[in-house]
Amino acid sequence: MTSQRLLNLYTAAFLLFMFTPLVLMIVSSFNNISPPSVSEWRGLTGKWYAFFWMDQEALRADPVLRALDRDRFVGCFGNSLKVAAAVVPLALAMGLAGAVFLTRWRSRANGILWWVLLSPMLAPGIVLGLSALVFWGRLGVNAGLFTIVMAQTTFIAGYPMLILMARLQRQPVELEEAALDLGASPFRVFRRITLPFLAPALASAAVIAFLASMENYNTTMFAKGGACTFATEIGAMARNPNGHPPVINAVGTVIIVLTVLATVLHTLLQHREGRAGKTRPAPK
Amino acid sequence: MRGKDVTLERVSITYPNGFTAVQPTDLQIGAGEFFSILGPSGCGKTTILRAVSGFVSPSTGRILIGGEDQAGRAPNARPTALIFQNLALFPLMSVRDNVAFGLEARGMGKRERHGRAEELLALVALQDQADKTPPELSGGQRQRVAIARALAVEPAVLLLDEPLSALDLKLRSHMRAELRAIQKKTGVTFIYITHDQGEALTMSDRIAVMNAGRVEQVGTADEVYSTPATAFAASFVGESNILKGRIAQLQESEAQIQTALGTFRARNPQRLAEGAAAYLFVRPEAMRLGGPGNTISGQLVRRDLEGPFVNLFFAAAGHELVVHQTNTGPLPSQPGEAAVLGFAPADALILPEGPLAATGQELAAE
Repeated sequence: MTSQRLLNLYTAAFLLFMFTPLVLMIVSSFNNISPPSVSEWRGLTGKWYAFFWMDQEALRADPVLRALDRDRFVGCFGNSLKVAAAVVPLALAMGLAGAVFLTRWRSRANGILWWVLLSPMLAPGIVLGLSALVFWGRLGVNAGLFTIVMAQTTFIAGYPMLILMARLQRQPVELEEAALDLGASPFRVFRRITLPFLAPALASAAVIAFLASMENYNTTMFAKGGACTFATEIGAMARNPNGHPPVINAVGTVIIVLTVLATVLHTLLQHREGRAGKTRPAPK
Repeated sequence: MRGKDVTLERVSITYPNGFTAVQPTDLQIGAGEFFSILGPSGCGKTTILRAVSGFVSPSTGRILIGGEDQAGRAPNARPTALIFQNLALFPLMSVRDNVAFGLEARGMGKRERHGRAEELLALVALQDQADKTPPELSGGQRQRVAIARALAVEPAVLLLDEPLSALDLKLRSHMRAELRAIQKKTGVTFIYITHDQGEALTMSDRIAVMNAGRVEQVGTADEVYSTPATAFAASFVGESNILKGRIAQLQESEAQIQTALGTFRARNPQRLAEGAAAYLFVRPEAMRLGGPGNTISGQLVRRDLEGPFVNLFFAAAGHELVVHQTNTGPLPSQPGEAAVLGFAPADALILPEGPLAATGQELAAE
């Protein structure tokens, strides 16, 4: 057996293990049976999706769906959006400050600072959630959306920092020096030169911070107190001893479709940008 | 616009890692002068430029511009503008906004600064490119945008860090003439950093030759070329046939120098004493075929035709000698052909032994 065939086999097995659960989940989201199954086919249905918009009568008529609390689910999803709306700007601001400091400030403390800023990303999420809970509890703040925001920001800020650092390292320092040399104040240099250069990286960092906040489970679980988010609510529904309702499969399918669409869109845009860069008018 | 004079008083620069990039240096650069600092890479010339613009602080000494001590002044508070080696044009801004940037930083209104930017773009013949961004321009155009952007802030001193090094040969010689013309037109003091002796010789009012953190010589292009002060300056600026030797006999302003190829008469401007170790420098264009004067016999090794000129490479007792000839009349062309090479004592220079430039042809051997 050649190494090429071994590699092919490995690749096939890898793809199989990665995609089979997703395929099964998508298929079962259209199967009219609860808890979800693919081995037993009870007919095609869209009701696990329609759950989110069907009217109250239809909802009450369904033996499975009427046991679910749609308003609570929507409320938890709203909480997730609120948390993300606070976490994204906070993480961007902190990540930007850290990235500028680490790339533009030549200091002996940089190595230490790097680890201090990135250690929350490596620390177990449980520890972050618990410590946020304990810290804010001591200060008399009840666990809730605020503590979720604080706990998530501690580690999510690391993502923008890494993304922005990579971009800043690609910008020649001479651009900032040139602006300074032309009489600009350091603030103007940052606003007119550094920030526009960072714009694309800021956009990707915002998307990644948003996704990290939306999908975070373990840190949020410990910091949430009585509140709920999209991820913790899905978690609660999945822990149903009688098997989870296929509504979760429907939600999962929607997320996959959105992710694939976003990736395709991003690739297309990048492709177009790359081509636009190449077709420069010929110098005269 | 009016240039200001720049004075360096005992300026030395040592980096935090302990490397001394510039040894204590004195320089007086006149207002409105085109002053070049010429030296190999790593000689400290860029560090001097960064010290004048304020990005590096001198470890000792002081820098005065127009008589004012610049100590403690940030780059954005100095009457200087720096043109970076990579130009550092702002890639996301239009050419117009690039040129107007310094005026924007000074709080000038949009209409006014755009008007001023158009004037400067006209000065560098780029008025029809104002709406493009720098990546859309050619190398020479980008070069001119950088000049216009620097001139927009009406600096008293323009600092240029090898700005032509990225251009191709033809464009470079065109830009030389253009830079010189702009300097004359504006009267701004230019301090021009380069490792290209051709640039320094053609453009400058005066040249400082630098090596290993030290200024070896300051003088006009003619002085530096025909009467270099040190072995380094003689070997770095232009080409030379170099012979190692010892002063044999003094004759007023000239001397006899004894080398492996014989004893020759040459200028001895530094009045080296008898017995002193020295180098003899003869430019290839000062070498002739035949006498009179000093003569060496050699055999042709190689002939490089440059069109109007021919470089003839001779071997003489194991040394290679170059003769630069205009391509007229009968010239030896066959390898092995014997010839007598001559040079006038007035065209040969004796200088004290010292470090030579790495690019110079070290032919000497005792």
